[in-house]
Amino acid sequence: MHTGAIDPPSIAWQRVSPQYVTVRLVEWAVANLAALLVLSAPLVFVLLGWWRWPPLWLAVTVPAVALVVALWRLALIPRQVRAIGYAERGDDLLIRSGIFFQRSMAVPYGRMQYVDIAVGPVERALGLCTVKLHTASPGTNARIPGLPAPEGARLREQLAARGEARLAGL
Amino acid sequence: MTAGGQLPGPHLLPSAATGPKSNATSDGEWLRVHPASPFVRGWFALAAIAFFFGRDLFERALQGQPVFEEGFARRAPWLLGGGALVLAVAVLGFVLTWYFTRYQVSGGYVRVNSGLLFRQHRQARLDRVQAIDIVQPLLARIFGLAELKFEVADAGQSAVRLAYLKIDNARQLRATILARASGAVPAAGPGTASAAGMSAPSVTGRWDPPGPALPAGPAPEAPEFAVLAVPPSRLIGSLLLSEQSFFIVVGGVASVILSALTDNRAFYLYLLPAALGLAASYWNFFNKGYNFTAAISPDGIRLRYGLLDIQAQTLPPGRIQAVKIVQPPLWRPFGWYRMQVNVAGYGTSGNAVEGNTRTILLPVGKFPEVLAMLSLVLPDPGTAQPAVVFAAGLTGRDTGGGFVTTPRRAWLLAPLAWRRNGFAATDTALLIRSGRWWRELVLVPHQRTQSMALQQGPLARWFRVADLVLHTTPGPVAPRLRQAGLDEARRLFDEQSARARLARKRQTTEQWLRQVVPAPEPTPVVEPDPVGEGEAVVEPVEILDSRMQNQQEGQRNG
Repeated sequence: MHTGAIDPPSIAWQRVSPQYVTVRLVEWAVANLAALLVLSAPLVFVLLGWWRWPPLWLAVTVPAVALVVALWRLALIPRQVRAIGYAERGDDLLIRSGIFFQRSMAVPYGRMQYVDIAVGPVERALGLCTVKLHTASPGTNARIPGLPAPEGARLREQLAARGEARLAGL
Repeated sequence: MTAGGQLPGPHLLPSAATGPKSNATSDGEWLRVHPASPFVRGWFALAAIAFFFGRDLFERALQGQPVFEEGFARRAPWLLGGGALVLAVAVLGFVLTWYFTRYQVSGGYVRVNSGLLFRQHRQARLDRVQAIDIVQPLLARIFGLAELKFEVADAGQSAVRLAYLKIDNARQLRATILARASGAVPAAGPGTASAAGMSAPSVTGRWDPPGPALPAGPAPEAPEFAVLAVPPSRLIGSLLLSEQSFFIVVGGVASVILSALTDNRAFYLYLLPAALGLAASYWNFFNKGYNFTAAISPDGIRLRYGLLDIQAQTLPPGRIQAVKIVQPPLWRPFGWYRMQVNVAGYGTSGNAVEGNTRTILLPVGKFPEVLAMLSLVLPDPGTAQPAVVFAAGLTGRDTGGGFVTTPRRAWLLAPLAWRRNGFAATDTALLIRSGRWWRELVLVPHQRTQSMALQQGPLARWFRVADLVLHTTPGPVAPRLRQAGLDEARRLFDEQSARARLARKRQTTEQWLRQVVPAPEPTPVVEPDPVGEGEAVVEPVEILDSRMQNQQEGQRNG
């Protein structure tokens, strides 16, 4: 489990399912392949001689850079998934994520307005789900993706029960 | 509720709603807004119809032609009939909308039913009222009407609006809602509300209120005491020296130079519409900020402002989620500050301009006035020397006032502001300060912290610093502590969690007058705690004590 300097010490982080990598890969493929196709269209047209502009070097560079960036992000995905962690503490839920841009967040149970579970098509096929926590602040972008469905259900029940017990006003 | 939410009961005459002499706010009664309100609200549509039909006649009259063309007599019945039909449909629509819009205050809830074809029932819990506004647009003012608008935290969407009521009724209703929201009048807890409220109508004040007792009947308006007023001259000055003016001057100079260089006069043409837009914007600010006064009452902070359209806001105690105090560079010679707040519901409701003006706690004020407003927002500053701490937060640098700043090793990340960027924690609030030229101080009461996140990018990791973000409700204030030293940030993250937890435990209910089980403690005990790294000393100092003290003093003065 990857932990960074900003994480509270001696926390037993729960990891999300390694299968979540597959979900991310599918998302990556859908987003990046489409972008790559669009970006390399000028290159094809220039090579076919249909277009005079842009010059060849530009038509090559743009998709090449996009490809490199996409591959870089692809290489990061497994590590990013490994970096996602959560921990239930006595009064709040800790969620961490990120390798380069790390974030470590604490959501008090008493502040949770509601918890919901979202399941996308790929996640459903793999038996995964995403738990989202909502507080009165939209800045609380607290989602734990890639949880196995039973664990997600357990977490939701657990959070709801704890939230109920500690519910404070706004 | 016995009258049923679906159809207007035959015994409910509209006069019950309009007459202020009838006990307009008794429990469980379904009331309607003022009969004139559809026309006040729909005057624009009526004016459009009048304009549409009148323009032709007017143009003819101007051109000296006969007002009625020949053959008019033949078409006159059709025209008149058509016009009358459109007018009748419009008026009927307004009247029906009015007839089917009814509201009720009972048992801890305000319910508003509206809609003719698509019925809408809205129900708002009174102890979740975040703010109440009384708005008087110009036309409504002429008729002595006002709109009552309140934000409720659990309504999810925008405010609950009642437009329009007679101004006295609106004030009365506001007092009733606030009295119940505060717990001064037993509004029955949400559990018992439905049963008790329905079976026994007009139970107001029947039970023995455990808190400060109020007489039965309609709740009296809470007394209020003026705190400050912003003179118009200062408002104008602040507008002239605003950031906007700065960019206007820069843009004007640039366009003059450009036109001189290129020998092209066309630039002036572009300036004209821009100037019109700017004039409108200045007018808007002036109109909204004119005659700004702030007052304090047991029901919270009262803000009043407006030249043509008057608005009176009431912010109950403890509803302010975060405060921001800013000083643009041009205001510095005058020592002016602007204060903005986050209130749940304000950030999301209505259009941008409205949301913007409603979040202003103080359009322009000097340091003593800022302190006065802060004392209203945060009655217990949680420190022995609030003036010193806040002054350090507004103008200070380095460690004065107990602030912890960005460590020297990270000065490259914020070459100008690193000595300002910092935080200080009192017993009741976290202060975050930033900005060398655009000075900014953000206050977040501990009990209002929603969630927190530590963030660190690669560059920040290299310098061993981190950002701490506090999440709050939508609004102009986005608390973010920039480039705090890693160890300090981590300690703050832990301590802040603990402080917020304790503050939440202390706050037992949303009803602010009931919040304190009145312990016989005559004076507010402010622990003379060293500012800053206090181990979150939890004295059961009731937050409201000092406010009560304020009120008592105010009553003596008033």
